[in-house]
This record gives sequence, C-alpha cells and structure tokens, in this order.
Amino acid sequence: MTIAPSVLPETSDSAHSGDALAQAVTRPAAIHSQPITYIFFNLDEVEFIEAAVARLIPADDRWPGALEVGVTNYIDKQMGGAWGAGERLYRSGPWQAGTPSQGYQLPLTPAELFRTAIAAINKELAAKGTPFAAMTPANQDAYLKELETTDRDLGGVPAREFFAHLWEATVEGFFGDPVYGGNRDMIAWRMIGFPGAYASYYDVVDKHGIVIDRPPMSLAQDAMGHVHLDPNIPPKLP
Amino acid sequence: MRTRNILPSGMILAIVIAAAFKFADAQTAPRQPDAKHGADIVAHGTAAGAPPCETCHSVNGNPDGSGTFPRLFALPAYYLAKQLTDYKAGTRTSDIMQPIAQMLSADDIADLAAFYAGANAPLPSLAAPDPALVAAGQQLAMVGNAAKAVPACNNCHGPGGTGLPPAIPALAGQFAPYAVSELQLWQRGIRKNDGGAQMSDLVQRLDERDIAAVAAYYQQVKSALPASAAPAK
Amino acid sequence: MAERLRPVDAVTIGVGMTGSILAKELAAAGLKVVGLERGAGRDTVPDFQSPAMHDELRFAIRKSLMMDTTRETMTVRANVDQTALPLRRISGFLPGTGLGGSMVHWNGQTWRFQIADFIYRTRMEERYGKTFLDPDLAIQDWGVTYDELEPHYDRFEYLCGISGKAGNLNGQLQPGGNPFEGWRSREYPTPPMKEAYCGALFRRAASELGYHPFPMPSANLSQPYTNPEGVSLHACVYCGFCERFGCEHYAKSSPQTIVMPVLLKNPNFELRTGCQVLRITLDNTGRKATGVVYTDAAGHEFEQPAELVLVTAFALNNVRLLLLSGIGKPYDPRTGEGVTGRNYSYQTVSGVDVFYDESVNINPFMASGALGTIIDDFAGDNFDHGPHGFIGGAFIGANMSHGRPIEFHPTPPGTPTWGQAWKDAVIRHYNHTVTLLAHGSSASTRGNYLDLDPTYRDAWGQPLLRMTFEFPENDIRMSAFVTDKMLQIGRAMGGKTVAGAPAKRPYNATIYQTTHNTGGAIMGADPRTSVVNRYLQCWDVPNVFVIGASAYPQNATYNPTGTLGALTYWVADALKTKYLRSPGPLVPT
Repeated sequence: MTIAPSVLPETSDSAHSGDALAQAVTRPAAIHSQPITYIFFNLDEVEFIEAAVARLIPADDRWPGALEVGVTNYIDKQMGGAWGAGERLYRSGPWQAGTPSQGYQLPLTPAELFRTAIAAINKELAAKGTPFAAMTPANQDAYLKELETTDRDLGGVPAREFFAHLWEATVEGFFGDPVYGGNRDMIAWRMIGFPGAYASYYDVVDKHGIVIDRPPMSLAQDAMGHVHLDPNIPPKLP
Repeated sequence: MRTRNILPSGMILAIVIAAAFKFADAQTAPRQPDAKHGADIVAHGTAAGAPPCETCHSVNGNPDGSGTFPRLFALPAYYLAKQLTDYKAGTRTSDIMQPIAQMLSADDIADLAAFYAGANAPLPSLAAPDPALVAAGQQLAMVGNAAKAVPACNNCHGPGGTGLPPAIPALAGQFAPYAVSELQLWQRGIRKNDGGAQMSDLVQRLDERDIAAVAAYYQQVKSALPASAAPAK
Repeated sequence: MAERLRPVDAVTIGVGMTGSILAKELAAAGLKVVGLERGAGRDTVPDFQSPAMHDELRFAIRKSLMMDTTRETMTVRANVDQTALPLRRISGFLPGTGLGGSMVHWNGQTWRFQIADFIYRTRMEERYGKTFLDPDLAIQDWGVTYDELEPHYDRFEYLCGISGKAGNLNGQLQPGGNPFEGWRSREYPTPPMKEAYCGALFRRAASELGYHPFPMPSANLSQPYTNPEGVSLHACVYCGFCERFGCEHYAKSSPQTIVMPVLLKNPNFELRTGCQVLRITLDNTGRKATGVVYTDAAGHEFEQPAELVLVTAFALNNVRLLLLSGIGKPYDPRTGEGVTGRNYSYQTVSGVDVFYDESVNINPFMASGALGTIIDDFAGDNFDHGPHGFIGGAFIGANMSHGRPIEFHPTPPGTPTWGQAWKDAVIRHYNHTVTLLAHGSSASTRGNYLDLDPTYRDAWGQPLLRMTFEFPENDIRMSAFVTDKMLQIGRAMGGKTVAGAPAKRPYNATIYQTTHNTGGAIMGADPRTSVVNRYLQCWDVPNVFVIGASAYPQNATYNPTGTLGALTYWVADALKTKYLRSPGPLVPT
C-alpha cells in the first residue's frame, strides 16, 4: 500500500475546537512529496500512527516534524523487519510482570505490541465515534498523555508500555540516519546542528566555540552531498 | 535564533573562534575573505612580488600536462589556507612555494583560499591508468590493508575521497604524479604538517606500489567533482 | 556426545583483553594455547569502516557489537524477596561479544585505582575507626598492593599507549596531572588529548573553586604510538563514535590494536571463534580441572582437555562459568557463607547538565570516549569522610563522549517529555549544554551477589546468571555528597540553568549507567571470603585462574579496565615465574 503524505491542506486550527470539526483539523502539510510505501502497517494503523507522531514531534513554521521527515516510514520498516520480529529480544518464559527496574517483560515482539495496542486504541475510539486522526490536536495530545501516564489495558499491553515503544521509535526515526527511512534529508540533524557521520574533528576540536556550519552527512552520502554508490555494483543489469 | 546556512560544497566554513573563557567574544565576526582579490592574485600576482599562481596552478589545473602541480580548485578553503600558512612558516617545505608564500599576507592567503575553494573548471584529460593498479588502489582507498594495519583512506578523506572540510583534503581527481610526490615527501618526513601525525604515521606502512596504486585510483575518481568539472573532451 | 580434542597446555575462555594478553604471554613462553571466543572474529580492517561505523542506530541503540540477548542474558532483582526476571534486552550495562570482547566498544578511560583501594577495609578502619562503616558493608582488602601492581599498571599503559599527564612521578608531584594519584614510575606513554570546550569550561570553574583539574587518561591516543610488542596505533580524530563502536582509525586501544597481531602470528596459539564454553570439567577429586566443554557455531559439542584453564570472559560470565562448573561454594546471603558470587558491585554514577545560552557552542559531537577534564578531589581516600558518614567517592568531570542525537538531546527540568515544547527545547539546548559526570565507587554488601537463576535458561539449556543488587545506603549518601559538589561546579561554569540529581534507589537495570560490573569471583587472602588468591588462582582448583573485574572485592571510584590490565600482567608474571615452574597452589592454604 502506498500512501502519499501531504494530502491534507494546511489550515489553522485556531478557529476550531472539538471533534465535531474533525474534517478541518490541522494536519501539517508534508514538505516532501515522496510517497511512503507501508509494508507492515495497514490503513487503520497508518492513520493512527501518522496522526500520533505528528503530535509527538509536531511541525512548526521553522522545522518539519516527525510525520514530515518520514518517521512512520522508519517505524514501518522496523516493524516489518528483524526488529519487529524480536531481534535481540530474550523470549523464553515464564512471563510475569516485574518492577520498572526489571524492564520489558511481555511476551510480545515489537511488531505484535504495536499491532495489538493500535488495534485496541482504534477499537476504543471507534466505539466513541471519533478516530484518533480526526480528533483536534488538543484532544490528541490529551489522549497521548493518558497513554503515557497510565497502565490502561490495550489488549494486554499496558498503555504506558505502548507509549514508551512509540516514543522511542519516534525519536529513533527522527534522529537516526536517513538510510533507515526517517530523518528525511537529515532535517532533524540540520535542526539541531548535528553533522552526522563525519569522520574527523581533529583540527577543530580545540577551537572552542567554533560554529560548525556545514551540511550534515549521512551514511549514504559523501561530504559533498553525493549519494555514495558502490562502484562495484554496475548501474545497469547485464 | 541562529540559522544554519547550507553552504555550497567546498566553500569556506564560516568559523568563529571564541576565546575559550570570554563568551562575549564568541560572536565577533572575522574579516570576510575576498575571492575576487584572490582571483586577481591568481592572474596577476601581488605587488609584494608573488607571481601569478596560475602559472602553475591554473584553474583547470595542469598547464604543463605533467600533473606535477596539484589541482587546487574545490579543495576546502581552510585546508588551502593552512598549506600556504605552513609554507610561509616553513612547517611545510618547498623550494618553490616557500618563497612565494612569504610574499603573501594573511589576507592574501585567505582570499586565495576562498577563490580556489569556490573555483570550478573542467579537468584536463589524463592518460588512462593501469587497471590493475587502480584496482589495488581502490582496495587501499576503500577497505585498507589489514596486514599492514592501514585503514581505508576514505575513513578520513570521506566516501569517494571527497574530503572532509575543513581540514581533510579531497583526493578524488587529484593528479597522480603530484599525489605520489607528496606521499613520498610524507614518507621521508619532509612533509609533516598534519596536526595529529595521522598521515606521517600511515605512509610509513605503504610501499612504492601502494603509493602508485592509491594515486592512480584517486586520479580517476570523479565522484568528488562538480558536474561541470568533468574531464575536458 | 562431546568429541574429545587433542589436549593443549592452556585454554582461554574468551578472547578479549585479558584472554588475548595472557594467551600472547603463554604462547610466547612456549605453551600450546587455544583461545575460545563465543562471538565472531573481527579486525579493524575490514570490519570497522567509516562512515558505516558511524551508525548510531545500529551500534549504539540496537547494540550490534553486544552480547546477543536472544540467546543468553541475566536475570535481575533488587533483593532476595523479589523474583528475578530476565533482562529481555540489555541496556543498563553492555557486555560485548566477539573477538576483542568489550575492549572493542569501550570508551578508553584508563585509570589506576588508589593505593588505599587495595587495602580498603584496613585503611577505612584505620582512618575512621571500626564502628564507622555500615555493618551492611562487605568491603575487603584485595590481597595485593598498589606497589606490587605498579610495574604491571605501567606495562599495561605502555601496551595501550595511554594518553595522559602524570601527577605523581615516584613521589614527586607533577604540575598538570592528578595530584592525588598513586605514584607512577614514569610518565604516560603519550601526552594528553586535546581539551574539548566542555573540559575547558569545567577546568576554569574547578580551578576557581580551588580544585585540581587534569586530563582524563585516555586509550584514544593523542598521537601515533608503537607499543613494546611492535604494534602501532594512530592518533584519534575526535569523531565522537567510541563507546559502543569499533574504531576504524586504529586510534583506540583494543586487543586488535595492541596485541592481537602478535598473538595471531604465534603458531603456539589457535583461535576458535563461535565457541560457547558450557562448563569447565573437573576430575573426580574436584580439585583439578581437566579442560572445558564447548559447542561450536554449528552446535557440535567438543571437549577440549587442557592443563591450565584461564577464565577470561566478561566479569559476569566468569562468575557464571564457575557456578555452572561447580567451582567454589556458592555464596549464600542469608548465612554469609560461600564465596562464588559474593561481593557483586557496580559503579555509582550521577550527572549534572549545565545549560548555556545560545552564544556558547559546545559542539558535543567533537569528542572521544575518554576526552575529559576531571577532578579527583572527592574520590576514594582523597578527602576526610569523617563528617559525612560514608566511605568512597567519585571523580567529577566534563567528559562528554559524543553528541549522537538519538541518545543525546538534553532538555532542562520542566520541559514536557514530547510535543512542540520538547522540540523547541531540544533545538535550543542541543549544542549549548555541558553534561558533567560523577563516577563513583560501589561498596560491596552482604546482600548484593550473583548466583544461578532457578528458572530461566539460555539457548544451550543452562541456567542464566541471577544478579541481586541494590545501591547500598552508603553509596546513596556518597552520591548525594559528590553530586552536590558537582552542582556547585556546574553553577560556577556560567550556565543559565544547572540541573542534576544523585543516584537513587531503586537501581534501574534498564537505564545505561556503566558496564563496570565487578566482583563475584573476588580475590583475597582468605579462602573463606574469596574465590581466588592474590594471583587470581582458584583456591579450590589451582589450575583454574579467573581473570576479570570479577576479582574486585568492591569497586573503586574509577573505570575498572586499567586495574584489570595491571592484574592481567600480574597474573602473567605469576604464571611464568611461579606456576609453570611448579604447578600447584601459589598461596598455601
């Protein structure tokens, strides 16, 4: 399934309040036109997760937010790949709840956890009449805050646990290297001034307070912005 | 709110060196280099007696076809300025360049560096290198040599050998005869103006063929060059 | 049924720092040595390459170089009344896997412990009286002294090429170094690294307050160096990808860059990777090891007979192997009897953020793992604890090791945890914040220990290690004291906001603190209270030596690696000059 972002017009939310005006709520226009091909999330899940990350790290008049830089694309590829399937996760029972100090103790893989919790959220909100994506930003924020701070049951997943996973994945997709499908054009790095994958600061580390004012560099690029291709891979199939 | 300008590739970095303990000084603007003045020196030399640079370092790089004089354009300005300053101070030696550099003021050097960093021109055609030599050079450049404990050149010089501003020069497209000569100078300890001795130390592990190979490889790497700097037909 | 292999003189269980150094020494002395490494083989070239190595997600977040917790992990609990549960991912501490072990992904902070650290109980009781210590504390003397270890510290530092400035050369204080350090017989092999901006700001404030700043001793080298083995390292380029990463520049001391080239060339040594040692086998007396049993990467089981077994895995795995092999009586916290697993300790760390205005560009990404400016004024035995009611202390310093943004995006207290205000704060503070660290000691207690978990098993069907740990009250008081000092320095550094908090209970195994897990197979003078003698030789099984921070009776202020390097050479010396001449107990019982 391929969904092009930036399908909704940019509108002001100042004149609107309440879920009744859902048709007009702001959803920040994406600055990029590349469509995202979701390999893991279904449409119902996409609608939730796009709306959720757009509130977790919103766009503003200076910098795009998580949605615009492709964080949902990042999360989708992680969930559809080895990480979602439980890479590096010890998965032997017995299973029991522990203390916060003992860490994650559910039998679910990340993919199962996202799928389970989002289904529960969508079901709960459908029963109330307004899906998450159609809420006002203020209501979306309040809903996310509740997920963050309570252990409300989401199909067996405590809300707090789901939120922690969602937030962690959002930050990874926002600040990680663009090769993983988020942080498009290294926008999050430009935003804070992180130069990315550079190799050497030998000559400047002791120039205290120096302004490092250069484009960041991705794993896929060289310092002049060229996409770095392996010369051993021919550009055309034989 | 500070904004972050995305500078054209290879262009001088706006560097503001703050006195470590005086924050108020941190934003003092430096003199802006004058690339036009740099161009003037390149074409006409200076009143103090420095000859026109283009006699040897024309923007298209290779007036005598030998590849003995380095290609300077599109190298980081900080790097170019440091080399001229080092020649002037005698920390990089050359019978040709030292006397010339001594005739350049600090402003001349900054202006020249700005000019060459922003300059652009087609590369001259060069003889096709031995493919086996290029392949051996590519191995050193991209992977390194475990037996000799030599890391990949690109680890510091950047993917594709495009350089990492401000201090690490691009190798891609550099003339092989010049590169061989410089690597030999590093090896013999005549050139030693790298701050951390990274180069001085590494070249000791290269033999003659390694040097020829890596020079041949980088000469034919075009990835670093702006589109307009493709080899002249 | 295990296939029985041809006997060898010695086997190392793990080929990391201690395994590679000892294997090198013994192979050079003529012994046939087999090194068994559970992970893969790897070398700087071709395995560590830039820019691929500069991948925060893969290496720092997904922990690509660390122990694979799909197959084995530890269980944790705070006390014996809790049910220990498995760390289903590791994040609080990061044992590595693969050739070179954790010394591939370490930061490179290479300290010596203090003279007093090795005679800790004696010194504390002498200085403060026997009633001063919390009765809960189980601190002990090491059975070896600083003076005995000094030549071995020196040898290890010269193997690594450590960059630093001596503060005490043969008793003479040296300007610019740490005036509190124990004497050293000569200067560091290479000069200190360049000072980062955060360090310069810290230095000024600490000096103004009357403290004694100095450069952190670093295994990220300030200049090229060729060690006495003839192996060369390059100068660090301050890329900001040390801890959790391999160094592609040959600039960080690791087995690959200090000893492995020599070891692998010696025909007396055979490296076997992908080999998981299941247990050490004992003869029917239980007093002599006959070798080890391991499985290779394809799952085939082998018995490797050996005259000498060197347990050279990560500290926690050393202890687990002893427990799985029935070496040493397991420690029982209820009775205080038994030794294996006793005195598990950690490190007590806390942080302070100094938030500057936007004119101060800290550039945290220009960094290395051990690029720091430090004071030692509140470490260990360096100040009078009498008025404060605790023992131990911390070094305090600015040693920001990176600016990688998934992990590093500091915000001041009161910032929302997400949303527009969070984003604004991250933009505002990312490049304008200095993080200070107090790196503190960890006292051993009767209740903190290691044993085998009764429930959870690894991929080979063996019990996981169970860790029972909570910060002792002594260390909570210590952390409050040193964090207060650190806040004072932070305020003197000119920040707009200064925020931080001491270590607090409960210990949270999900938040990274350090990988300085110590104890469990501790050294000492008395077989009733230690697993190994002063030469790290098992009291009960004299042809088994256990080399690791597992030997520390408690953890001192500093990162443990430097001391472990010294102990490794101390053991190598004892093996070559004593044990091999006359195999048997090196200390009478």
